[in-house]
Amino acid sequence: MQEFLLILKGDGMNHLSPNELQDIFEAYKTWVEGLGENYLGGQRLEENGALLQSKNDPILTDGPFLESKEIIAGFFLIQAKNQKEANAIALSSPHLGLYSIEVRPIAFPKMS
Amino acid sequence: MVYQSEQIVERLFRTEYGKLLATLTKLFGPSHLQLAEDVVRETLISALSNWSTGEIPANPTGWLVQVAKRKALNKIKRNHMMLRHHHIHVLSHNSVEDIDAFFLDDEIKDSQLRMIFTCCHPALDTKSQIALTLKTLCGFGIKELAKALLSTESTINKRLYRAKEKIRKTQTPFTIPQGSELIEKLDTVGLSLYLLFNEGYNATGGESVIKKELCLEAIRLAKLLVDRFKDDHKLNALLALMCFHTARFDARIDDKGTIILFEDQDRSLWNRDLIHIGMGYLKKSLHDTVISAYHVEARIAAEHCLSASFEQTDWQVIHDHYLLLGKLKPNPIIQLNLAIIQSKLQGVEKSLSLLDNMAKNDSLKEYHLLPVTQGIFHMKLQHYQKAKVFLEKSLAMGPSNKEIAFIQDKIRECENMLPKS
Repeated sequence: MQEFLLILKGDGMNHLSPNELQDIFEAYKTWVEGLGENYLGGQRLEENGALLQSKNDPILTDGPFLESKEIIAGFFLIQAKNQKEANAIALSSPHLGLYSIEVRPIAFPKMS
Repeated sequence: MVYQSEQIVERLFRTEYGKLLATLTKLFGPSHLQLAEDVVRETLISALSNWSTGEIPANPTGWLVQVAKRKALNKIKRNHMMLRHHHIHVLSHNSVEDIDAFFLDDEIKDSQLRMIFTCCHPALDTKSQIALTLKTLCGFGIKELAKALLSTESTINKRLYRAKEKIRKTQTPFTIPQGSELIEKLDTVGLSLYLLFNEGYNATGGESVIKKELCLEAIRLAKLLVDRFKDDHKLNALLALMCFHTARFDARIDDKGTIILFEDQDRSLWNRDLIHIGMGYLKKSLHDTVISAYHVEARIAAEHCLSASFEQTDWQVIHDHYLLLGKLKPNPIIQLNLAIIQSKLQGVEKSLSLLDNMAKNDSLKEYHLLPVTQGIFHMKLQHYQKAKVFLEKSLAMGPSNKEIAFIQDKIRECENMLPKS
């Protein structure tokens, strides 16, 4: 088993109605439950924060700093046998479509 | 209320959206409606991600309120300068305790009432009033609005944007009017809700599910008003009317979505509970001196709801009330209905001669339901050739898709009765 970070980019949910959000919620919950122990965690990120580019540059605050489709909206940590299986998990996510999803393996060997 | 931990109630997000938005609009002021919308949306998205990956809280509504409060407080702190610039009263509400008071049950209802008056402000045109009401109080999204109001997303977006701008620029207050102003504003609000209801009930285009939701939302908002203004006879009549019509909603179309004529409807499908509730409001609406078009329409609908069958309807009562309605609210459609009712009192031929006269009348010349009615009456008299001509004529006058299916069915019926050439 290998760990993967699913990085969700975009602002897709900001355009949904309450009913659509509730539908996503149901699908999302089913998806997480379906993953069972392969789901390791996940968080949504606020759009604001700070951007530090170098020690000398001023610290940019509040954000968002990128175009809306580039904003990282949140992430999931999952485990899968290989990249192919991790891709399949991302493909089955109800978030895909609202967000683009980058599937990145955690570098091996993992620090612990 | 007790929720099952694994499930949340249907439409919870939408219902809570309306309540939270009204509350936050009171907190921020109606000029900051957009800010309030952002906070509520963020709250729902937080709920979505927290509840999907963990436990659903025992009290989802309470959870939403807590999170909305915290987010509102953050916005107030962050937007302090901006809000001060607009001299908004929000400056004094800067602790959780101050905000708490806004989220008491009675206060939420009060905020929703204020929201109704703000959305139905006379400065806005009717279409904007309806769109804004559905968006803010009923939690409809842009896509859903476009579907429900048979419009496009970009038209709806523009309309909502302009409405919000107008509220901001005219500094529309977020209040419940008092005294004589209240009576006048209640009339505007009543009319908006009546039109919102008709949007769901009368339009035969669009999806039936979303249309019914419009009717149910109109009832919910009318009830909110009646609960507060118990003695307003017109509001009671309006709510009665909505109950009677909605009770018959499901009997109007069959499984395939085809229209069923009133006389052919299965009355066992009518919602008896809703009819009973409607009768309660109708009783409360009665008053010695106040009589409105809502009263008369409710009375007609009640007569239909209480008749055991189409044949047993007291057509004289229906006829007399339509006459009265025509005086209160002159309208060619009412004349059409009166002509149709004559078929029950003086026979189909009499109706047809009235309808033929109306067809020469300017106001109904373009109305497709007139030749449809003429066609159906000719069918009753077994004039299938004539019937077919009228039905075919109506097809060219812009009926909805559902109506087209119905009319084509009738044309086929005529053809089957005509000798094969």
